[in-house]
Amino acid sequence: MFKDLFLLKKLSWVMAIAVLLLISIGICFIYSSSYVSEDQVGGRFLYKKQIVWAMVGIVCFAICAALDYQEWGKVAWLIYGAGIFLLVAVLIVGHRTYGAKRWLDLFGIGVQPSEIAKVATVLVLAQTLSRPAIDFENLKSIAMLLGIVALPFLLIVIEPDYGTALIFLPTLFVMMLVGGVPMRIMMSFVLIGVVAVGTVLGVLFLPEKLGASEAAQKRIMHVVGLSEYHRDRINVFIKADVDPLGAGWNKMQSEMAVGSGGVWGKGFRNGTQNILGFLPPSVAPTDFIYSVIAEEKGFFGSVVVLLLFGVVITAGTLAGLRSRDKLGRLLCVGIVTMIFCHVFINIAMTVGLMPIIGVPLPLLSYGGSFMIVTMSVLGITQSVRIRSRSTVEDFS
Amino acid sequence: MRMRIALVAMLAGLLFLVGSLWRIQVRDVSKYRSKVDRQSVRRVRLPGTRGLIYDRNGLCLADNRPSYCVGIYIEELRQPGSWSNTINRVEETIAKLSGVLHLKSDVTREEIRKHINRRLPLPFPAWRDVDETTVARLEELEPRLPGVAIYYEPVRSYPMGALASHLLGYVGRSDPEQDPEEPWQYYHPEMEGKYGVEKTFNDELTGIAGGYVIHVDASGYRRKDFVNTELKPREPVSGSDIVLTIDSRIQRLAEKALEGETGAVVILDPRNGDVLAMASSPKFDPNDFSPSVSAEEWDKLNTDPGKPMVNRAIAGIYPPGSTFKPLVIITALESGVATADTTFDCPGYFQLGSAIFHCWQKAGHGTLAMRKAIEQSCNAYFCQLGLRCTYDRIQRMGDAVGFGHKTGIEMGGESAGLLPKKGRGWSGGDTCNASIGQGAVSVTPLQMAVFTASIANDGTVYRPRLMMRRGDAEGEVARKMLWAPTTMKVLKGGMHDVIEAETGTGKRAKIPGVEMAGKTGTAEFDSGSQRRKHTWMTLFAPFDQPRYVVAMVLDEGVSGGLSVAPRINELMRGVFSAESPASNVTTTVSQGDKS
Repeated sequence: MFKDLFLLKKLSWVMAIAVLLLISIGICFIYSSSYVSEDQVGGRFLYKKQIVWAMVGIVCFAICAALDYQEWGKVAWLIYGAGIFLLVAVLIVGHRTYGAKRWLDLFGIGVQPSEIAKVATVLVLAQTLSRPAIDFENLKSIAMLLGIVALPFLLIVIEPDYGTALIFLPTLFVMMLVGGVPMRIMMSFVLIGVVAVGTVLGVLFLPEKLGASEAAQKRIMHVVGLSEYHRDRINVFIKADVDPLGAGWNKMQSEMAVGSGGVWGKGFRNGTQNILGFLPPSVAPTDFIYSVIAEEKGFFGSVVVLLLFGVVITAGTLAGLRSRDKLGRLLCVGIVTMIFCHVFINIAMTVGLMPIIGVPLPLLSYGGSFMIVTMSVLGITQSVRIRSRSTVEDFS
Repeated sequence: MRMRIALVAMLAGLLFLVGSLWRIQVRDVSKYRSKVDRQSVRRVRLPGTRGLIYDRNGLCLADNRPSYCVGIYIEELRQPGSWSNTINRVEETIAKLSGVLHLKSDVTREEIRKHINRRLPLPFPAWRDVDETTVARLEELEPRLPGVAIYYEPVRSYPMGALASHLLGYVGRSDPEQDPEEPWQYYHPEMEGKYGVEKTFNDELTGIAGGYVIHVDASGYRRKDFVNTELKPREPVSGSDIVLTIDSRIQRLAEKALEGETGAVVILDPRNGDVLAMASSPKFDPNDFSPSVSAEEWDKLNTDPGKPMVNRAIAGIYPPGSTFKPLVIITALESGVATADTTFDCPGYFQLGSAIFHCWQKAGHGTLAMRKAIEQSCNAYFCQLGLRCTYDRIQRMGDAVGFGHKTGIEMGGESAGLLPKKGRGWSGGDTCNASIGQGAVSVTPLQMAVFTASIANDGTVYRPRLMMRRGDAEGEVARKMLWAPTTMKVLKGGMHDVIEAETGTGKRAKIPGVEMAGKTGTAEFDSGSQRRKHTWMTLFAPFDQPRYVVAMVLDEGVSGGLSVAPRINELMRGVFSAESPASNVTTTVSQGDKS
């Protein structure tokens, strides 16, 4: 173990610096965004809490980097099982916030089982795909892969937490692609996806276009397990001004915050959208932290953050490329894709390109469990890097 | 390989985001900035204090006073839950205040709601223009009611009450056009001249509005801690004061002369057209309109049969009666159809065909010459003289001197009167009627005053003016009539005799010490059983160097000589005895200019 810690000096300092910068930026702007709510008890301590979470995260990063990632492969199924268990538990005893059951109270700490399940699935998939015995011509293998993905996916959809579910699919898709699943099977997945999305949209909007009554529309939606809630959410996305004071409020205000930032921004702690509460204080430090940055630091600040993420993603992928085995490669690819999906979806919804689906921005958004999970998985990529061929060769 | 593709795809995704950010933050930045301002910046517009109005001696005729309002800061009464809880709270507060202050409230829920939606950060006016007792009661209130405060707004006041009310006019709340692009402007009530001088000179009197910017948060609350440094508050600038040509002492005398009657008086300075007094009766009190006029008051003023809201001096049109006769004299002498010695016979009437025109002297004047005819205002003489002139000539002369045209005084609502052209079916009888100021001819008192001034001035007609502007003591010459001195001598002599001769029709106007000249007039206007008469008198004085021209009309009277002359007598006594050293100085100055 101590020998392993010694290996830490081999980790990617470029990535470490980028990660630390992102965390610092996050803390600064959590401070800025909660500055407004000074009169609210605890509001101004948000950034202090985040500092604590960041330190815990750094420790997790170091531990995960030091641990041999092969160990993760061994316990992957265990974690996966725990994740599924928590997902079921959250449906039964979870806290209901904003009409969705996502949070579980574990010894006084709020935990999102979907976070754990996300990582667990990446681990299990990497482990399964890297088994030498896997045969992609065998339907049983494909069915198993699908099963591994489908179980947590469906449980998360039931919560519902579409943001996490939306990250699931591309992550696992890229992993399978890199894991060597033949093209034609991948293509058939794409086909199935297109058909599924088409069906959902068709069910949600076609009856209306065809002039069916409201009751009939609802009946058709319920048959496939959808409701008006979904339709409204998508409607808000498509028709931006359909409900500026209701569901469209955050989207509109966030877009205005970003847009009004200009090239250089309004200055630290001077974001009017945020201070004046147009960007609700409940979401500004969490899912909409990026719009606070974009408003106060402008295009310059937004691009700096994107660049740093680009560095993290590239460094993570390079770690995988140099990996001495398939497991390391798949772990890196899965983790990087997961991070990328978070970044992309979060920023896209911040600037009004996507519907608001509650996806936090890794390393920047306020939140403990997400910080720990993100830092841990980034640590895993470093574990892969440390033990990569070139490093081992250097070492011998 | 597949891994590298994945990496490139991801980096391309980030690049795509950079592109979107460029579009929103750099290309469309102004669009989003204005959207943000629109929802978080409120401009409060502060009107400049209205300029004051003075008379020629520096006496203040229109002032501003602070009007105290009981305001409620709704933000401070905000209740959790829906806004209707807050509205309830505001209503409770108003009800409580109503008990303490002994004031009735007519505030509706809808008004409160509107205020919340449109101007939450500004105080809601529960009562406007409360008296000092109320202010004192509120100040003494223990414990103080939260969210309640006194604030004040400037309100127009007229220290002289109803004096010169028609001339000054009044102000009302202006309704600034709401710019649909700027729905977030907050207006403080602004006053606008609605009538009289207040309206004519509104641009001068109105100040330059200032304003300040407040930031409000998502729920419309004012954010005191958030100051936008780019938009500094701008102090409003007061409007300009204006000085009127009115002499309030003369104005007061003029209004006294009209007391209890319906009618109008105009007093001009013939040397430059200054309006020294302009009165119309009945009058109103412009203070009733500040800060606002109640609906019943407004109805009362507008349905009153005496029409107090009409300025008869410029808008009242009357047949001029015998005060029109000087025009016939001028026409006759200037066209050469008659001389001062031209005589006509008056048997007490004049018959033209089957039509009979009575002279007021039923016994008849016998044969009289021009000067005597003027003094006696003999209808028979003027019918014959008018026929000799022909109506065309009279009309042309009248038109040239300004009848049928607005005088151009700086005031809205002036009538042009009527001096008809000879039309089809015009008979000799019509000419006779016109020659004695009856029939279709109609004039305003101001026109009569201007006409009289042009006689006093030997043909120079000044545009009547109301505002003293620096650097033009001279007045504006509207037209110059080239009347022969001999003509003026005859006419003025006749008019002199009207007042100064023992037998003159206007002898009751005569005052000791000052020689005056004038002309009386009586015009019937309700034919049939109820024969009512407008009674007139025009006058200029002193005879040698006229400084005053008066035209006065009473809507109803017995005759000019009996109804108006005694009032003019009193008026001119007052004018000369109150004549200020100031106006003597101007007299000497203008005399010096002439020499």
